[in-house]
This record gives sequence, C-alpha cells and structure tokens, in this order.
Amino acid sequence: MKVIASYNIKGGVGKTATAVNLSYLAAWEGSPTLVWDLDPQGAASFYFRVKPKVKGGTVRLLKRKRELDDAIKATDYPRLDLIPADFSYRNMDLTLEHFGKSSNRLRKLIKPLRDEYDYLFIDCPPSISLVSENVFQAADILLVPTIPTTLSLRTLYQLLQFCDSRRYRHLSILPFFSMVDRRKILHRDMVEDPPRMHCRLLANSIPYASEVEQMGVRRAALETYAHSSRAAEAYRALWHELKDLIETNG
Amino acid sequence: MASALRYPIPLQDALPGWRKRLMERLPLQADSPESYRIHYYDSFDWRLFRCGTALKWEQRDGESRCYLYKLDGGAGIASLPRSEPPPKFAADLPAGRLGQRLSARLGVRALLPLATLEVRSHHLRLKDPEGKTRLRLFLEQHRLREPDKRARLLSKQVRVEPLRGYEKAATEILTLLEDELGLQPEAQDLLLRALAALGKEPATSASKLDIPLEPELRADAALRRILLVLLETMERNEAGTSADLDSEFLHDFRVAVRRTRSALGQLKTVLPRATLARFRREFAWLGTITSPTRDLDVYLLKFGNYQQQLPEEMRADLEPLREFLIRHQREQQALLARQLAGARYRKLKRSWRRYLESPLPQRPGARDARKPILEVARRRTWRMYRRVRREGRAITPDSPATDLHELRKSCKKLRYLMEFFQALFPAAELRKLTRELKSLQDNLGDFQDLEVQTGTLGHYAEQMRAEGHMNPRTERAMQTLQAGLTSGMHEVRSEFEQRFARFSRKPNAQRFQRLFKPE
Repeated sequence: MKVIASYNIKGGVGKTATAVNLSYLAAWEGSPTLVWDLDPQGAASFYFRVKPKVKGGTVRLLKRKRELDDAIKATDYPRLDLIPADFSYRNMDLTLEHFGKSSNRLRKLIKPLRDEYDYLFIDCPPSISLVSENVFQAADILLVPTIPTTLSLRTLYQLLQFCDSRRYRHLSILPFFSMVDRRKILHRDMVEDPPRMHCRLLANSIPYASEVEQMGVRRAALETYAHSSRAAEAYRALWHELKDLIETNG
Repeated sequence: MASALRYPIPLQDALPGWRKRLMERLPLQADSPESYRIHYYDSFDWRLFRCGTALKWEQRDGESRCYLYKLDGGAGIASLPRSEPPPKFAADLPAGRLGQRLSARLGVRALLPLATLEVRSHHLRLKDPEGKTRLRLFLEQHRLREPDKRARLLSKQVRVEPLRGYEKAATEILTLLEDELGLQPEAQDLLLRALAALGKEPATSASKLDIPLEPELRADAALRRILLVLLETMERNEAGTSADLDSEFLHDFRVAVRRTRSALGQLKTVLPRATLARFRREFAWLGTITSPTRDLDVYLLKFGNYQQQLPEEMRADLEPLREFLIRHQREQQALLARQLAGARYRKLKRSWRRYLESPLPQRPGARDARKPILEVARRRTWRMYRRVRREGRAITPDSPATDLHELRKSCKKLRYLMEFFQALFPAAELRKLTRELKSLQDNLGDFQDLEVQTGTLGHYAEQMRAEGHMNPRTERAMQTLQAGLTSGMHEVRSEFEQRFARFSRKPNAQRFQRLFKPE
C-alpha cells in the first residue's frame, strides 16, 4: 500500500479536490483505495456524502488498531472507501500527545490495512502540527498542491525546510501547481518558468476551473460529471505522472 | 470489498413486476435498465476455478471491465477497465493488480472463453437523506449465448450488494427478501450455473496420474489401464496442440508420450513382443516429431529470463533471436499440426486404442502378463531404484555430462514407475520418496536444460547467419548469453553431489526397500 498525503500548510489550495479526484482515478483503474479525511472540517466526507462522524471520535480511533477498520465506509464508487472526518479531529494533537511516542501513531494504526488497499490517500488539515508530523511519518508521498504565487512558494519552502530538519528520508515531497489561473501573469510566468527548489516539481498542473468548484455542489468526483473538462484531464495526467513515478521508484 | 448475495426468482416472473414489488416496500431509486454481456474465461486445466476464482469481462456500451473474483461470495480480487476481451496470456495485461494476480494463477496457460451471458439489469439504490447510497440492488435476467443457437433463458435473480459500513441497511433488505417475499439465497456462482447448462464440468484437481489399481490385478490388465489413461491425455491435449492455444498442451501431450514410451520399455515382459516393437517405434516417432516445436517453445518461454541475464545495454540486441524463434516456432508448429492431422498419427491412435481395449488373452505369451501387478510393480521399481543408486554413485566431479544424462533418464523412469503404481503403495511414504527424487531430478534437469540450450544456441546462431538475420551486436549478445548459460551449468553441476547424497541417505534407502524390495 502506498500512502499518499495531500498536504499544504495553507488552506484553500485544492488539497481535498486532489485527494478525492486522484483516489477516484486509482479506484477506477482497479486498485482498492482508501481515503482518510483527517481534516475536522470534513470536506472530503462532504464530497463523498458520508456523515463526518466516527464512533467514539479521535480517542477511540487512535486507541486500538481495530477501530480504524470499523470506521471504514464504502463510498458510492466501487473499490473506493473512506474513513470519514470527525469534529473531534480538531483535538487530535492533544490526543496524540497523550499517547506518548506520538509521531509514529498514525503509521502503526494504518499498518493492518496494508494488504487490503493499494493506496491510502490522506486529506490533511492545513497547518503544521503533531498531526502533520504523524502524516509525514506515515506517508510515502507528500503531494503539495501549490498556488503559483510568491506567498504560496514561501510556505512550500518552509515545509521543505521543516522536513529537511526532521530528515524524513522515506518521504517524497512532490509539489505541483494547483488552481492555476492562466489569465494572471504571475501564475503564467511561474508555471512556465518555475523557480528552482530542492524537490521534484510535478510536470502536470491543475487549472483553476469552475468544474472543480462544482464538486461542492455535485458532491461527486470531477470525473463522474465533467469527464471531458480540462480540469478532469489535468487530474488524469497528474495521476498518471504520479503513478509512473511510483512504478519506476518502487 | 463486500460479497454480493443472489436470490433466484421464478423464471416466469417479469422483472418490472419485481421492481414494483420492491419499490412499494422500500424507498428505492431506480436507474434506467441496462443490457450488457458477461464473458467468462479460464485456462484449459481450470487453474482459476481450482483456486476458487473466476475471471469475467463485462462488456458494456459505456465502460467495459475485467474482474477477477472469488467464486464463493463473489468478492472482488482485482479489476481493470478494458474495452476489449482479456488477452490470451495474463503476461500481456498492463502492469497492475489484475495482471499480477492472474499471472500468479495462470502461469503460461492461455485464457480460453468458457461462457457468455446476456444480462438485462435494473439497478436500484437505497439512499440516505444526503444522497449517499447505502445499498445496491440489482434485478437481473441472464440468457446463455451459444454459437449458432438462440440465447436461452438461464436465470432471474435479485442481487444484493451490501456496502461496507452500512450493514444495517443490508440486514433490513435481507429480512425483507427472505421473510416477507419468501426468497432463498443461492450460494452457487452464476458461472457454475452457466457451465452446468452448457454441460461443461470444471476439473477440481490437476490432471495428475492417479490410476486406481488393485494389487491382485493381472499385470497386463493394469498396464493397459495405465496406457489408456495416457492415450486419453494425449487426445485431450491434441486439439490445443494443433491450434497452438498455449505451450502447455504440447508439453502435456509430450509427457504422456514419454510416459507411454517409458511404460513400454520398463514393462516389456508384460506385453507381447510383436505389439511392443511396433508401438515403441510409433511412439518414438511421435516423440521425435513433437521435439522441435517444444524446444522452440522452451526458448520463447525463457526468453525474458535470458534477456535479464544480459547487461542492460545488450538486452535489445537479443531481439533478432526472439524474431527467429517466433518464426521457426510458427513453421514447426504448422508442420506438427499437419502431422497430427495425418494418416500415420490417426492410425497409431486407432490401432493403439483397439489393442488396449481388446479382450485379454487367455494364454498370453509375455512372461509377466498374468502375474499380480503388485509383484511386477515392486520388482521393476526396485530394480530401477538400484540402477539410479548405482549410476549416481559412479559419478565423480570428473564424470562427463553424458553420465549425468544417463542418470537423469533413469531417475525419470523411476519417477514414472512410482507414479503409475501409486495406488498400490501408501501415499504418505510415496510422497516423501517423490520429494527427494524430485529434488535430485530438478538438479539433473537444470543441468541438462542448460547444456542443451548452450548447444542449440550455437545452432540457432548458425541458422540465423545462414538466413541473413544475424548482426554483430546480436552475435555478441548471444555469445554473452551462451557464456552465462555455461557458467550456470557449472553452478548446477556443483550442487549435484549434495543432492545425490541427500537422496541416498539411509532413511530414504530404507523407505525404498520397505516399499519396493520384492519379498
């Protein structure tokens, strides 16, 4: 099982759309796939029309390995399951702290799911915290949707520096440009001539598109209602690029 | 992935009537009905079925898809969107879960079509206030398609697809279907129903030689029984060999020929001399005409391996060899197919069967014909075992390759005898002996294969030069491969002493003695 976290310190950059659309594509291609909506705001759960509620909340979920299994819900898409969000996730930092050796908890928790799923997508809450450190330990890939603006890049550098200082050797950090608005000069320039960074920037980017925003109204994966749109095509290209990377690097 | 449940409904009932009945009782939403086809596949020897799985390709106007699933309950193992039927070989599927799982089960065997169903389906969903589906129901009708016939009605059913995390909805529906509507779930997969309707019976075990023999049976009767089974194996694999469906047909065909020849050679005191001479000659011919195709098959099967043995930059240089092999395999295969359709082979089969099914002679000329089979089996097996031991002991690190080949042949003969007569001896003991013998045979077989392959590679190179399909890069790649094979051969050779020592250990020897030494 490959663990792919959709993460950014900033909010509103397209993390949830990334997790939902890429996980949909993985499942469509035949891979049993799980999404964990780790954001207490529960946007991914909302898109999948699943109640953002986990029995017993964070405490029970983090306590025992089996609990995770019980929290899994099938989505409306074959082979795609979800661990929904819960409002108590907002206190996950405290709960993790309480368990001691707290940055490894998530990794241990998902271990029993390794044989059942090919991919686990984690939709992460914004900010950098003990929860994100847990995600960095558990994930193989950190997908970082990044809006092509100066401030967004600054946040990306902060993240890279942080990960560098913690030496997450197993973790591939893969930013890509998200919500690219071709009408804006800054966006266009940055996508065409991206600044140098200490990690691989994915070649495919996701355009700013009303079809993506429609996900909140449709409450469905983009592919199911706007297959021919440019945005859907961009997600497919991004997924294939990512999959090729996974296949070549193991 | 949750398992689905099937509830057959009477064939005369109309699906819309059932849809109405269900929708009156539950807040279901109906999609518009759809029609599609299901095509089922398995290998000739039912490899998927034998591990409790099945492969189907659902062909739809929109999205078609292949599914590998468990026969018991229907849980999915792997799936792949695919607009065309599955390829003949699992290795030709794109990399991924389905390809991996299928390859592991099928090996080199081809996928062959089993059955085709025409499906008419009404999809009903039970949704919650958020619009989330909590359960799927399908009302389905299946018609069985056969070539040149009108499709016939096979079944009608309600299929329930529970969703993980929504178990309560499933329980409610099942209660409704069973208690209120009086339906009974059926455990058997639809494929089995289709197969039964087609009169096809899946094999539940590999076609190993397991011939029932009574210890007191006349030796000639027992031998005929064995030979008849072998003839049937040849006949079963004949069509697949001629059509070149996959390389295993010819392989199994040849094994049956070799076993027949071995039986005729080993048990020559049981059958009349004149009969023996004639059929030994004919089966030797059959062995010879099937050899070239098999040799090329083996090369093609190992080709990927060969390429891997070369340094990466050299791998592409080997491609002309692959083309050469494919070309010649096709030629040889066509020639073989002609021979199998020819008069000599047909006559051999006919007269062989006639002989094997003819009444047993009252006063047979052959010395051991009327002896109890147990006695003959013991004597022959014991003798062959001693020969293996003798030949093995005589081998030193300096012995020529021919000595190892001789030993290999003797081992094979011993193995065949043990297989022919397995019904006469305790299975557990025999298994232990076979295990040790097999380990020795594997070593000798690898050695022989590598030696033969090194030799043939030289011939192929010559032939390729003569045909004008050789270039210096390919020549160098083939030489590198040849050197690799030779060094592999030395490695295998160095393991022989240890394997043979294991085989000759006292407990093993005592077991052979206990089982086979004539009283």
